[in-house]
Amino acid sequence: MSDMPRRPYRVAIVGGGIVGLFTAYRLLRAGAGPVVVLERGFLSSGASGRNGGGVRQQWDSRVTVRMMREAVQEWRHFGREFGTNVWFRQGGYLFLATTPAEVTRLRQVTEAVRAEGLDGRLLEPSGALRYAPSLSLDGIAGATFLNTDGTLYPFPGVWGVYEAVRALGGEVRLGVEVTGVRTEAGRVVGLSTSEGPVDAAAVVNAAGGWSGDVSRLAGLAVPNVASRHEILATEPLKPFLDPMVIRLADGLYFSQTMRGEVVGGLAVPHPTGTRAGVPTSPAFLRSMSRSLVRLIPALAPVGVLRAWSGYYDDTPDGFPVIGEDPRLPGFFHANGFSGHGFMLSPASSKRVAQSVLGEKTDLDPALFSPGRFLDPHRRGEAEGLQPG
Amino acid sequence: MEPDPPPPPPARPAGHGSPPLTRSTRYHRPRAPFCGVGYCTNCLVRVNGVPNVRSCQYDAAPGEVVEVENAWPSARFDVLAAFDVLFPQGIDTLRGFRRPAFAVPWYQRVVRRLAGTGRLPNPSTARAPSPGRLVTTDFVVVGGGCAGRAAAESLVAAGHRPVVLEREPRTSPVPGAEWFPGTTGVFLPPPRAEALRPFELIARRSDGSALDLRARRVVVAVGGYDASLWFAGSDRPGVLTAEGAERLRPVERPGFDHAVVFGGGPRTLQILERFGNHVEAVVAPGAIDPDVARRASELDVPLFPRTLLLGVVGRRSVRRVRLAPRGGGQPAFSVEADAVVLAHRRLPHPQLFFQAGARMEWRPDVGAYGPTVGPSGATTVPGLAAAGESAGAATPDRARASGVAAANAVLAGGGWPAPDPSPPSALHHELEGYYQELLSTGPGPGKVVVCPCEDVLLGEVLEATERGYRGIEVIKRYTGLGTGLCQGRYCLPDALLVLALREHRTPREVGYITQRPPVVPTALGALAGLPDDPEAAA
Ligand SMILES: Cc1cc2nc3c(=O)[nH]c(=O)nc-3n(C[C@H](O)[C@H](O)[C@H](O)COP(=O)(O)OP(=O)(O)OC[C@H]3O[C@@H](n4cnc5c(N)ncnc54)[C@H](O)[C@@H]3O)c2cc1C
Repeated sequence: MSDMPRRPYRVAIVGGGIVGLFTAYRLLRAGAGPVVVLERGFLSSGASGRNGGGVRQQWDSRVTVRMMREAVQEWRHFGREFGTNVWFRQGGYLFLATTPAEVTRLRQVTEAVRAEGLDGRLLEPSGALRYAPSLSLDGIAGATFLNTDGTLYPFPGVWGVYEAVRALGGEVRLGVEVTGVRTEAGRVVGLSTSEGPVDAAAVVNAAGGWSGDVSRLAGLAVPNVASRHEILATEPLKPFLDPMVIRLADGLYFSQTMRGEVVGGLAVPHPTGTRAGVPTSPAFLRSMSRSLVRLIPALAPVGVLRAWSGYYDDTPDGFPVIGEDPRLPGFFHANGFSGHGFMLSPASSKRVAQSVLGEKTDLDPALFSPGRFLDPHRRGEAEGLQPG
Repeated sequence: MEPDPPPPPPARPAGHGSPPLTRSTRYHRPRAPFCGVGYCTNCLVRVNGVPNVRSCQYDAAPGEVVEVENAWPSARFDVLAAFDVLFPQGIDTLRGFRRPAFAVPWYQRVVRRLAGTGRLPNPSTARAPSPGRLVTTDFVVVGGGCAGRAAAESLVAAGHRPVVLEREPRTSPVPGAEWFPGTTGVFLPPPRAEALRPFELIARRSDGSALDLRARRVVVAVGGYDASLWFAGSDRPGVLTAEGAERLRPVERPGFDHAVVFGGGPRTLQILERFGNHVEAVVAPGAIDPDVARRASELDVPLFPRTLLLGVVGRRSVRRVRLAPRGGGQPAFSVEADAVVLAHRRLPHPQLFFQAGARMEWRPDVGAYGPTVGPSGATTVPGLAAAGESAGAATPDRARASGVAAANAVLAGGGWPAPDPSPPSALHHELEGYYQELLSTGPGPGKVVVCPCEDVLLGEVLEATERGYRGIEVIKRYTGLGTGLCQGRYCLPDALLVLALREHRTPREVGYITQRPPVVPTALGALAGLPDDPEAAA
């Protein structure tokens, strides 16, 4: 593809996952000028094509609850805005606690949720059966439920935003790898790629699990860590489970998709970094199956259809990184979304676009700015409710 | 709801005019056995409260409760089959159902109800995980066919006691080997180089448990399977692969009277030998082998070389087969038949090699990917050898020889003879040109269901390419093609060829078909029963 135009781009976005594409869409809608998205793989080859499709508003931090509430409204209207169905189904999220300490934790989460005006409910174990009758209550000490949480089908989200970006004149270059960040006089002037140089006044690092690698291409040390998470899907069954279910104790999460498959995962330890590729491990198949069958014994004869894995992009405090890097003008971050970047993307992309355009965002710099990790007196707040 | 009356016993289902066993997921099209080897979704039934049991692999005992899935009131007369008629162009779940806003939740409930095959197992079937076993050994041979047996015999002759996994439950063991019948290798992750036994292989057993094997070296001789073909009505009862015909239509009482056999090679010869009196015609995409032609003329079976199979006519079963001479210019014609037997193409099973991280290459002769192998069957993964069809051996003699070679490769000390990749070949697979003509001729009326597991239509695949989506990975995710219970075995090989045409690229450039574990669906209860990792505990 030697015909790749080099210039002039207002913004070049590294990564064609949901975050990069949504950011391009917001920028184009705001009339930012020429925008290019550079993606080294195929559409949806990153975490955006590998996730569990969960969308929730139950969090430790009220800031997260608020932004997710906004995202939920966006997902509800996605089909009308973008022309493709993500089948966002608000079947709720059911968190399960197994110890008194976890019950206390869930109570705090429910308080944060209710303080933001959402109908979160703390439940007795038996109350959980109302939402998921197939559960075994063995060992369950309590639960929370929020009926407006839900699940969606991620791929049409990617297709819809991709098509919208192209319809607005944005370019999406597939199979192009970003190999360097070009700077002049201490500010970004473009990128080096496998297809030659690209000139751009601003660069957005939306490389998901590889965002740390991309920041390092620009010579920037960042605390982002790529962690591999495995996930599986069972044979499709007729609908029997409405909510996404999460067990805090082992991080088990699963839901039943619109296609009928039970899709879910649980964290097993893996070395960090992106070197391993995206394999499956026997350890995951074993622990995941054990955990799931313990919770829903009737699933024992149901077949696992396929298993795969993808990368979370983790940050030390569990909040994402959004905004311009104070060390390198013109280099913007849209990363660190851990296991929740898909659900948040309609809301996070607005803030990314605002910051690229030099507008003020509503984000607390102590929680979201790239510079926060450079501050030795940084506030201790963290978003810790990470599973699922 | 009362359970449906049990379908006919699995060994002789759905012959000419006999009822379908189940219905497809989206359009509730009738489905009867197709592959005969436990991969496709066409013969799923609920047995004793367990959904999605492949009846071609299950011998129901008297007194067991067999129920029809996905159809009401019965598989033969299914109310929801109306969808097939109401939506001749298909149901667009990607772009339809978005308006009016107030109706969206309602659409959602309906669409959700339509998805899925089979209901959650009865709570009474809930049981503790089936305890699995850990087996440590030096050599594992996966597959106990010609090649695998030969490999196992060589290993025994060299004084070893290899573990042999054989999918078929009733096979005679190789003396001296540790023989696991009814056992399918489902997952072979890349070996851990530093370990004493670098390979870990997970296998599924017919008793519902799983094995965790640890081995020093592995020979994979899992053979191949007969491929499908895209044409109008290719998902109809009566359309079978050659294996399906062999498995489901015993000679003494064949379920079809006059079949059209598609293919002009060795598989067709085998079908003629077995069912010659019930073959109406032999149709081939290209030339027909001389020995096939000879046998056919002895049997008085007409031959149609270089012919397109446009489609089958008949709703519940095959009544006629529509054909057209290739090269254009001559009109289409029909042949009366009650079955189509697809014998044109055998594909190797690539999954275990891909999972193990072996280098895979495009084999233009079969039009599919297989592992790069050296003369001994060695793959690029040290300690992993291929034998039989996996190594490209097409005849039983060659398969046996490759089994012996593979055994020698895994027995040899010293460095692993890593193979060189074959030079890229300019050869084309026969079906590439075939599909070019089929697409320009147009397969004719009726839905062309290219992915019978998910009811994906040819039109949807073509539309995706028109919208600019490229590459097998994206088309798969965009259309759902190949994401069903057979994991793409019966649609992705043809999809590669068709997409290559549409994208003006070679099939190799259209992409590799990622093989996600497990090789076949493996029960959660079996995986849950796998023993704890001895190395993690240590
Ligand atoms: C198993 C799993 C389950 C998850 N479950 C959920 C869930 O239920 N709900 C939810 O909201 N989120 C979930 N997530 C997280 C979610 O998928 C991610 O946060 C989100 O998709 C991130 O989107 P992204 O666009 O930032 O990253 P990605 O989709 O990973 O996109 C980044 C892209 O950058 C490309 N790239 C990287 N380096 C370069 C380079 N040098 N040059 C060019 N391109 C490059 C990559 O190829 C990739 O396509 C899950 C993630 C995983 C792995």
